[in-house]
Amino acid sequence: MATEESPQVTRRATRSYSASNTAIESTNLPESYKPTINDLGFRQQPLRLEDLLSSFPGRRSQILELLRLLGPLNSPMFPILVYGGPSTGKTSVTLQVFRHLNRPFIYSSCITCYSPRILFESILNQLLFHRKDSGHSYSSVKRCERPSDFVNYLREALENVLTNLKGNSGKVSSKMSGRPDGTMVYLVFDNLERIRDWDKSSTILPFLFNLNDILKMPEVGLIFISNTSPDTYYLNIGYVEPIPLYFPDYTEDDLRHIFMANQTNSRLYASFLDVVLRPFCRVTRQVDELAAAFSSLFKKYSEPLSDKEVAPNEEMKRRLFSHIRPHIASALNETFQVRSQPLLKAETNEETKKTNSSRMLGIREDFDKIDFHMSTSAKYLLISAFLASRNPATLDASLFDSTGVSDSRKRKRKASEKSMDQKEMAEQELLMKGPGTFPLERLLAIFQCITSLAEDSLDEEESHELTVEGGSRGLMSDVLLQLSSLCNANFIIKGGSCPLEGSTRYRTAVSEDLALKVARSLKFPLSKYLYRR
Amino acid sequence: MGREKEKEKLSEKALNLLRSRLSDPNFIFRPLSDSPDSNYSKLKFIISTSVTEACNNSILLLGPRGSGKVAVLELVLSDLLQQYPEAISVIRLNGLLHSDDNCALKEIARQLCMEHQLLFSKVASFDDNSQFMIAMLRECGLAHKTIIFVLDEFDFFAQGKQRLLYSLLDAMQSVNSQAVVIGVSCRLDVDQLLEKRVRSRFSHRKLLFLSPSKEDTERFIEHILSLPMDSSLPHNYTAEFNGRLKKLLSDERFKELIDTYLSFNFTIGHLVRFLFQAVSYMDLSAGFLSLGNFKTALSSNQRQPKLECIRDCSVLELYMMVCMKRLEVKEQASYNFYSVMTEYKSIHDSFQTSDYYAANVCLRAFEHLLQCQLISFIDNKGHNQSVEFRPVKLLISSAELHQGLKSYQQCPAILLKLMDR
Repeated sequence: MATEESPQVTRRATRSYSASNTAIESTNLPESYKPTINDLGFRQQPLRLEDLLSSFPGRRSQILELLRLLGPLNSPMFPILVYGGPSTGKTSVTLQVFRHLNRPFIYSSCITCYSPRILFESILNQLLFHRKDSGHSYSSVKRCERPSDFVNYLREALENVLTNLKGNSGKVSSKMSGRPDGTMVYLVFDNLERIRDWDKSSTILPFLFNLNDILKMPEVGLIFISNTSPDTYYLNIGYVEPIPLYFPDYTEDDLRHIFMANQTNSRLYASFLDVVLRPFCRVTRQVDELAAAFSSLFKKYSEPLSDKEVAPNEEMKRRLFSHIRPHIASALNETFQVRSQPLLKAETNEETKKTNSSRMLGIREDFDKIDFHMSTSAKYLLISAFLASRNPATLDASLFDSTGVSDSRKRKRKASEKSMDQKEMAEQELLMKGPGTFPLERLLAIFQCITSLAEDSLDEEESHELTVEGGSRGLMSDVLLQLSSLCNANFIIKGGSCPLEGSTRYRTAVSEDLALKVARSLKFPLSKYLYRR
Repeated sequence: MGREKEKEKLSEKALNLLRSRLSDPNFIFRPLSDSPDSNYSKLKFIISTSVTEACNNSILLLGPRGSGKVAVLELVLSDLLQQYPEAISVIRLNGLLHSDDNCALKEIARQLCMEHQLLFSKVASFDDNSQFMIAMLRECGLAHKTIIFVLDEFDFFAQGKQRLLYSLLDAMQSVNSQAVVIGVSCRLDVDQLLEKRVRSRFSHRKLLFLSPSKEDTERFIEHILSLPMDSSLPHNYTAEFNGRLKKLLSDERFKELIDTYLSFNFTIGHLVRFLFQAVSYMDLSAGFLSLGNFKTALSSNQRQPKLECIRDCSVLELYMMVCMKRLEVKEQASYNFYSVMTEYKSIHDSFQTSDYYAANVCLRAFEHLLQCQLISFIDNKGHNQSVEFRPVKLLISSAELHQGLKSYQQCPAILLKLMDR
């Protein structure tokens, strides 16, 4: 008798719930970590100024300016806004500066704290040394939704922390005990530009910028970090602007320094950078995008070398350059991709084929395949959605007649001037409007036509993938499930509802390339069905 | 070596002193309030007469941001609290936090409870709180204690139905209450926002806070930046510091600099922030303020963010912006990513540029431009269209784009030529 799984409980409970309950009670809860005041500082080896400056090439003036604005120990400050493009090192520089200065700070990012309530509660949790754990079912120490409550709780919590810090400062030097220095607390707000997309941004942004005046506590310093410049925050309400600190994008020399750091064979990498850095900098100057492209390209670059540690001379450099040159052009046209299927197949292909041209063919073959998995019915659904968006509804009858033969041959007429102009305007309109919307019934109708076609061709090949034995009802429920998963994956977008009928309309969001790839994998002649003006 | 370290320590101390002074509003506004016809004295007179004569009053403090309204008010209140310790209690509300009536009454009740050591219940309803407030007003009036309500960002309280204002001002009309309502706002016409019934109960007293005159500003700067003689710093260092400061302040270039800054931001608050920046840039090894500090502070305030953004763009992103500019010139009303791509292709076909990249790389550059806010979507509601089809517009003018291209290092000549067409 499975009494373990369904015990006698007085209230209604599902079997899985009761099973999991007993499982939790039997194990011991691990000891949770209780944060203390020392956690407000960076709990790592303190950093000297020279190490700080050398670990951030090209950022010397910004680091020095930040240090000057933060000022000596226990000196009050005006709020600072650190801004610059993405991946220019704003967050890392700020955090490392705090590590160097060993002062207590609270960090919260508006990406992880995506609503005012979470932002306020995260700050309060850190100030009140509360850690969310399973003991209190992962709740915060105080429930705080409104800015007025936040200010009251914040004042209390800050006063506690400040008295704590003042008590500590009288004692032994903090370098020994790992305690943070000084009697000021700094609040760091990262990714401030995300707040602009929140619902309550019109109250939260002025609140944050005026927080200094509202709190009126000189022992609190505010630092805001943002990806966008200060003029994107101008609102109806004014505020005395925070002091701006600008992080420009890296120059080519800085990029060279950054990529040369931590390389085992620096001379080989230097010759590699000489070749690739300049063309890639014309496309993008962001470090993360360049790093992704360089890492795979460097592997290809050093392929012909048998000994990876050797420093190349001129002749070797020329050889390596001619080897890498065809790959650069294709790499420039790629963005960072996470491949779902391993690259083993591609590598074996390359090893067997020796000539340049067939290696390029290998690359092209990769581009033709889709590299994620979809079930057959999902693929047909995707193609039907693409056709429904691309073609106007009036063409459906002629394209998908009962015999399944497509007939898209138009009578050829001589193209006159006027019709060419009209064609151009119509093309432009099509570009501007984007894919059209379609109701669910039309999608299902097209899907049925296409799959009946496919059935006929599949029967010839004796494949048993599509089961229509269950009747049309069985196929229908499967299709609706597939439709909702395609919507979740953003292949089909659910649009607004039609004002007359009230039913929802859908729109396809895939490009023509992807639809052609999917059709090719099914051996479906998509181009015959596409309506070309 | 030891002398240099000592000098650095001295300058650090001086720096600390100046920074804490500049961050302390009390210190800043006290000397400006010394004369008898300043706002400080007027305000003090009004409030103290209400306290001593046990009458109700209301007043508005108006002025641009940073002119010291709340600072002067706090000075007045602290002086009065010293003068009449038992006869005043202060309730502070802020429009940014408490514009909702429920919130505001809860905060009033909380502050009243804190002052009079009563227990505050968090679950009290709106009616409970308002009855509590009226009862407290009556009690304090009978005990000859004046409650002063400070409403910061007053224009937020004037939004919506103004229930809080009405109940406050109405409660003040009764014989027993003794209250003063002080509204602080940056909008000079905030009394026009009040409803008729609220405005009739409001006494139309206004105090305008204007920026001080030029001579006052100069005197103020000298007073703020001079080190006091009786501090813990050694006498000769202080004397030399003040001497150099005086020479710097009388320099023509310095006066020009301050004028330039003040022509953009003319309130004391902004000036103090500028001085704070300049003081932070003080060279610790030298130990004295120099003209270069002020110049750096001025240039960091005079940034042009859009030009900086353009300078940070890659060449491909510049191409995209130039394409959009050309589409605008061709009078195309709205354009999206695909129309920009057709223009890009046509440029490549006619000029055979070397910078022709695939669609996904261009889309990445397009999204980078969106992130920097150099372009933006025309409407925010188009979330059921993918990024490539939503119409966008350029957020910079052609003059700015031209200037940016000129100042760009190694800008391809083709782009400049295209812009000139």
